[in-house]
Amino acid sequence: MKKYIEAWIRDWVQIFSRELRYIFSDGGVLVVFFLAGLVYPLLYGIIYHNGTVDDMPVAVIDASGSSSGREFIRKLDATRELAVTRSCPAMAEAEKLMQEREVHGIVLIPEDFDRCIAEGRQAHVSTYADMSSFLYYKNLSMGVNNVMLDSMREISRLPQPLLYEASMPYNSTFSYTVFFLSAVLLIVIQQTMFYGISMLTGTMREENRSLAVLPDMLNGKGISRIVLGRGAAYWLIYMAIGIYVAVIVPAVTGLPRNCSFGSVIILLLFYVSACVLFSFTFSALVRHRETVFVMFLFMSPVCLFLTGFAWPQSNFPPVWEAFSWIFPSTFAVRAFINMNTAGASLGMAGSNIVALSVQIAVYYILSVILSGIPRRQE
Amino acid sequence: MRRELRIMVQRPVYLMASVGVMAFCMLFFSTFFREGIPQDLPIGVVDLDNTSLSRNMVRQIDATQLGKTIEFVSYTEAREAMQTGRICAFCLIPSGMYADVLSGRQPEFTFYVNSLYMVGGALAYKDLLMMSNMISGGIQREVLRSMGLGDEAAMARIQPVAVDAHQIGNAATSYNVYLTNMLVPGILEMSVILMTVYALCSELKYGTSRHLLEKSGGMMTAAMTGKLAVYTVLFTAMGIVCDIFLYHWAGFPLKGSIWNMFLATFLMILACEAVGFFIAGTLPVLRIALSVAALFSTLALSLTGFTFPVEALPPAVRGLSVLFPLRHYYLIYVQETIFGSGFSGWYSQAICLLLFLLLPLPVYARLRAAYVNQNFPRK
Repeated sequence: MKKYIEAWIRDWVQIFSRELRYIFSDGGVLVVFFLAGLVYPLLYGIIYHNGTVDDMPVAVIDASGSSSGREFIRKLDATRELAVTRSCPAMAEAEKLMQEREVHGIVLIPEDFDRCIAEGRQAHVSTYADMSSFLYYKNLSMGVNNVMLDSMREISRLPQPLLYEASMPYNSTFSYTVFFLSAVLLIVIQQTMFYGISMLTGTMREENRSLAVLPDMLNGKGISRIVLGRGAAYWLIYMAIGIYVAVIVPAVTGLPRNCSFGSVIILLLFYVSACVLFSFTFSALVRHRETVFVMFLFMSPVCLFLTGFAWPQSNFPPVWEAFSWIFPSTFAVRAFINMNTAGASLGMAGSNIVALSVQIAVYYILSVILSGIPRRQE
Repeated sequence: MRRELRIMVQRPVYLMASVGVMAFCMLFFSTFFREGIPQDLPIGVVDLDNTSLSRNMVRQIDATQLGKTIEFVSYTEAREAMQTGRICAFCLIPSGMYADVLSGRQPEFTFYVNSLYMVGGALAYKDLLMMSNMISGGIQREVLRSMGLGDEAAMARIQPVAVDAHQIGNAATSYNVYLTNMLVPGILEMSVILMTVYALCSELKYGTSRHLLEKSGGMMTAAMTGKLAVYTVLFTAMGIVCDIFLYHWAGFPLKGSIWNMFLATFLMILACEAVGFFIAGTLPVLRIALSVAALFSTLALSLTGFTFPVEALPPAVRGLSVLFPLRHYYLIYVQETIFGSGFSGWYSQAICLLLFLLLPLPVYARLRAAYVNQNFPRK
C-alpha cells in the first residue's frame, strides 16, 4: 500500500512537471493563456470604461412654439441622458439627421401642446427612437419620461396620494461596464483554458504521442494520477490567472467589490477545477491542435448569453436552460455577479457552488473514461 | 479549385466549422430570444400593509405582461432573493399605507431593482415606474371623480402630458431583432476570418503548399484565386441563407431591399477573407496565425457598436472600430433595414469594405515566399 502511494506520488509529480514543461514550451498556448487571459479582461475594462451614454444628441421639432414647449425642451436638455443638439422645423429634416446618425432620437412637440394644457386636455409628445442600439432607445425613453413626470407634478399641482422611490442598489446608473464586466471576466477564464488545453491535446494527438492521454510507462494503468497530474498543472496556472481576472482587474477598472476576498477565492477554487476537467473532457473532441478555434470560437458569445446576464434566466427556453448546465461558466458567472457585485454571501451562492461540484464530479469521471479509450484503440 | 474541394470533402472540419457553426448559431440565437421581450419577469412583493389597496397593487403588477409577482414576508427575504438573481426587482409596501393614503399623509413605497441583469432590470424598472404612477393616478382619479370631473378631464389633470413612443426600425422593441440580426453576421465574420487563415496556413503546416503551387502551374495568383474562390462561394451562399433566414423566415423588419443586404454580406465576406489573408501572410505559422485571428474576431463583437455605441467608447478605442469589417457591415445594415436608404446611404461604408481588399497586397510576396520555401516552423 505504501509502495503504491509512493509510486502514485512519484508519477503524479512527473506528469505534473512534464505538463508544465509542455505548456511553457508552446508559443501558441502561451499566447492564449497569458496574452488572451491577461490582456482581454483589461481590454474589456478599457473598452467599456465609460459605462453610460450621456448627453445623447436628439433633435426636437417644436410645432407649438410656446413657452411650455420651450420649457419642456429645456428640461430635456438638462437630463443626464439627453442633449438637444438640433431644432428642426419639420419631421423630414429630423429624420434625415437621424439617418445621418447626427441624432439618435427625435422629440415632437405638437402644435396644440400649449392649448391642450391651458384647456385642461391631455397633451401628447411623440418620441422617435433610433433602434440601431437599445441604449439609444433606453436613453430617449428614460429622459423623456423623467421630464414628463416632472412637468406632470408641476402642471397638475394635485397632491400626490402616494410617493414612491426607486432604488437600484448595485448599479445605480445602469452602467454597461458593471453589467458587462461582471459577466465576461469569468467567461475569459473558461474559454482561454479550453482553447489552450485543446491545442495541447491536439498537438499530442497529432504527434501520436500516447501521452496525449497516457504516458507509456503506465500501460493503461493509473489514469487518475494522469488526469490529476495534468490537471494540477493547469489548475496552478489558472488559479493565478483567476485571481488576476477576478480580483485585480475589477480593482483596476473600478468594478465594485462587495464581498470578501476569501469568498472570491473559494468560488475560484471550484470554478477553476470545474473548468480544467470540463476542458479535459471536451478537448477529447479535438483531433488537431488548430481546429479548436475554427470549430469552437463561436461558443464564447454563446456561453456568455447562457449565463443569463443579458436575457434573463427566467425566460430561457427549457432546451437551452438544460444546455447551459454543461458549462461551468453558467454557474460561476451567476455566483460572481451575485457575490462580487450584489454583495450576496457565499452561502447564498450555495446552489451555484453545488452545481459546480456536480460538474467537477461528472467531468472527472468523463475525463478519466475518455483518457482510457484511445489507448485501447491502439 | 478542384483540389480544394477535395480537401474540404476529406476533412470534415471544413464543413463542420462553416455550415455547422452557422446553422447552430442561427438556431440558437433565434430560439433563445424568441419571446422578443421577456414576459412574466419575476418581481418580488413585500406587502406589509395587507389591505385592499395593497392587494390591488400586487394584482396590478402581476397582471402586466412583463411582471409576475412572488410574495415575500420580509424585506430581508426579498433582498436575498434579489441578490441571488431569483427576482429582478421587488417592491416594499409599507404597513399602514392605506390608512396613510386615506388621511393624506403621503406614504412612500419603495421599489428596488437589480440592474446587474440589464434586460430584466431595465424592464422591471420601467414596469414598476409605470405602475407606481398608475396607482397614484388611480387614487387621484377617484378623488377627482368625487368632485364631479369626467374621466377624460380627470386624466388630463392627473397626467397633463402623455408620451407616444415610436421605435424606428424595431417597432416591437424585440431583442430578437436587435441581437440576432447582428450576432449571426458577427459569427459569420468570425468563421470567415478563421477559415481563411486555416485554409491558407494549413498548406504550410502539412507541407502541401508546393504541391498546390505545382497544380496551379507555379502561379501563386492562380493558386490563391482558386483556393479562396471555393470559400467565397461557400460563405456567400451561407451569408445569403442567413439573410433570407433573418429577413424572410424570421420576419425581421427590413425597410430596404434584401438584395442590398446580400451585397453587404458579400462585401463583408470579401473583406473578412482579406483580413484572414493579411493575418496568414504576416504570420505564416498556423497555430499563431489562428490565435491572433481568434483574438481579433472576438473583439469585433464589442467594437462594432451595436451593443454599446462606438461614440461613447473612450477616444483611444473609438478609432479602432474601423478596423473591423463587421463595423462597416453594421453601418450598412442600419441604413438599409432601419431607414431603407438604399445605395446612397451606405456607399461610403461599401467603399471601406472594398478597401480591406488592399490588405493582401503588402503580405502577398511574403506568403508566396513561405509557400515556396516552406521556411517557417510548422509547430
